[in-house]
Amino acid sequence: MRVTVTQENLHKALSVVSRVAGSKASLPVLGNILLKTENNRLVLAATNLEIAITQNIGAKVISEGSITIPARLLSDFIANLPKTNIDLRVEGVKLHIEANSYSSVINGLASDEFPSLPAIESLKKLTVDTSDFKRAISQTILCASNDDTRPVLTGVLCHCFEGALYMAATDGYRLAERKVVKTELEIHALVPASTLSEVARVIPEDCDSIEMTFDDDQVLYRIGDIELTSRLIEGKFPDYRQLIPNETEIHANLDRSDFVRITKIASLFAKESGGSVTISADSVKKILSIHSVASQLGENTSEANAEVDQDGTVSLNSRYLIDALGCFSDASIQFGFSGKLAPCVITDNKSNSEYKHIVMPLRS
Amino acid sequence: MVVGDESSVNDLWRTALGEIELSVGQANFAAWFKGTDLIDIQAGVVHIAVSNIFSKSQFEKKFNSLVLETLQKHRSDILSVRYVIKGSKPRKAASDTSPLMDAVRDHNSKKPSESPQRKTVSSGLNHRYTFNNFIVGSSNDLAYAACQAVAVNPGTKYNPLFLYGGVGLGKTHLAQAVGNEVVRKNPSAKVLYINSETFVNEFLDSIRFKKKGFSTKYREVDVLIVDDMQFIAGKEKTQEEFFHTFNALHQSNKQLIITSDKPPKNIPTLTERMRSRFEWGMTIDIQLPDFETRCAILDTKASESGVSVGRETIEYLANNIKTNIRELEGALNQLLAFAEMRNIEPDLQTAAGLLGNSRATRPSHLTPKQVVDRTAKHFQIEVTDIKSPKRDKYIVVPRQIAMYLLRSELHLSFPRIAGELGRKDHTTAIHSVEKIEKAIKLDFIIREQVAEIKEKLYV
Repeated sequence: MRVTVTQENLHKALSVVSRVAGSKASLPVLGNILLKTENNRLVLAATNLEIAITQNIGAKVISEGSITIPARLLSDFIANLPKTNIDLRVEGVKLHIEANSYSSVINGLASDEFPSLPAIESLKKLTVDTSDFKRAISQTILCASNDDTRPVLTGVLCHCFEGALYMAATDGYRLAERKVVKTELEIHALVPASTLSEVARVIPEDCDSIEMTFDDDQVLYRIGDIELTSRLIEGKFPDYRQLIPNETEIHANLDRSDFVRITKIASLFAKESGGSVTISADSVKKILSIHSVASQLGENTSEANAEVDQDGTVSLNSRYLIDALGCFSDASIQFGFSGKLAPCVITDNKSNSEYKHIVMPLRS
Repeated sequence: MVVGDESSVNDLWRTALGEIELSVGQANFAAWFKGTDLIDIQAGVVHIAVSNIFSKSQFEKKFNSLVLETLQKHRSDILSVRYVIKGSKPRKAASDTSPLMDAVRDHNSKKPSESPQRKTVSSGLNHRYTFNNFIVGSSNDLAYAACQAVAVNPGTKYNPLFLYGGVGLGKTHLAQAVGNEVVRKNPSAKVLYINSETFVNEFLDSIRFKKKGFSTKYREVDVLIVDDMQFIAGKEKTQEEFFHTFNALHQSNKQLIITSDKPPKNIPTLTERMRSRFEWGMTIDIQLPDFETRCAILDTKASESGVSVGRETIEYLANNIKTNIRELEGALNQLLAFAEMRNIEPDLQTAAGLLGNSRATRPSHLTPKQVVDRTAKHFQIEVTDIKSPKRDKYIVVPRQIAMYLLRSELHLSFPRIAGELGRKDHTTAIHSVEKIEKAIKLDFIIREQVAEIKEKLYV
């Protein structure tokens, strides 16, 4: 194999794929990046057997071929080169790299040791707007659990009902559901949260849309020149829609930045109690107040003006509340709850809300 | 056709793995073959469970010939190897289209074709509704018995069978159970389940687009189940069409089952000839389930989902939701989903927390006064009359019903009941309650009236 590429392209592609290549993998070849020529382009690929990323870049292909090279060394070396053309030449299982006055030889492994990557053939394809999807990812993955003893909760459920694709995640204490895009397809896939955060990470700035393809065992995200394939999580996701209350008894509408501020202040006094703060709604004074107590430090009560329709009190973990409020960009939001034990619902106060965030109260 | 028992199958895979380890090397073996299982061997096709799609792809593309050759060394009857992902069931690969595979597949698929699913897909029946999972209590035993009789001898015994009752009490379940039972007994029987709305829509379409075959579709079935008949009321042309369908089926001794939320005589705008025909066979109402039945329903539902729910919790749910089984099951589902998500026991406290939110609007406590007032209002008599010593018949019966309701709904003691209605002697109360209990079983009008008052009490 002999190709010429620009340092910029190669560096960009390596930064996308090399993170997936594992250093602690049981199989040495998984720490390597596959380089191969295909249709006059250079393809780079890496996998950790949970996800696989490939990216192809423009190259001048002089002769075809392939090799795998340790990811870390290659990407560090390329990153430090100046912006110039780079010659790559494979001889046996060695890669010769030459750029101006820099030259090195890296020992690799034969490309047939690299795992064969799964192909996907499915009609369950849909396209989403990049920035909207990126936002949907950030709004849901923070609710996914990282407790490996319950694998289903470490995933984000991507499923269709009522003519739209929804993404939902829960860790048992909070839950987020986001409507993503209208579709008539029938999709029901549990995508690992780690996959989605990788998708969000590799999205380049100049990419307008992402194509997703689902089959029963895997999902493929096609993002410009990048293809990201992931396994799906096996198992049954809880019937989470049962947990979203249709209506709450008490509603408080207030300015989001006010709410964030008083919650952050209250959380300073809530470290001892594991983040527990008590929220009270007062319909007469039209305020939402947050109270927190630290037996050593002292205590705090902060208030914000709010439209409140009924009085009530609930205790929450302030960290979850801050996380939840960070998922909205609207100026005003609605905080709904019913009593001390029922789930609290945070929405954007619009009739056709696309995003719902549920937080369970603390029992106090 | 499973060849060999489980232990010999396991031995086969273990032996094969020993050899494979030598040829692929330690690292590859640890990365790919650890944790794989041989699930079964069917007609020469071996199913191997692998951890995920990446392993599957690797096995299919790189290790397949190695695995197949190694296995064939030990068992010459092995033809091919399929890889499935752990946790998912072995499924038939549609991509494999060699004639040999087709033959094997055809051979394999012979057996499951006996399943009763085949016919009923187009019949609109839902297989979950069977007699076995219908909970029988005193409120619905008559309807249950009638439906079973119809299922045994469709078209002869009670025709038409008219079931009515409030929302979510099991009308659809029973009607569908008859359909499922008939199909189970006689797989060639044609059963059609439709909502009356479907009937209306199809009828309208047949007029608008001049479609043929509308009437034949309905007139060729052996059992026709029409759900929620009340929606047909007021649509005269549709009623007429249904009338002809009804006659055609009835004359050829085909079974009709009709459900509605009201008895035929209470459906306004139902034409007289329809009404008399509905009342022709058997008209049965399904009452509100009593406490014990509600508990039994919850118990069954909980064990169906494989979760054990404590007695206290069951009783709490049954006590708080009285009028609608669908709502009752919804509350249980909500509780179970919540417990699953939180990984906690579905206990009383959790149930109370969840219910508190969905049921805040329902008065949890009835007072004796409400019961008496409601009863008096229902019969359009004065509360003072009901409490007076008068013994006119139009007052006595309401008084007895009020006593019955105080006993059945509020579990008041007999002396207390007597006191509430201005009687001195509690034996009057005992007598009245017993009398109404008996009358409910025998007298249609009393049953109706009690049910209506009950419904109003809990609205």
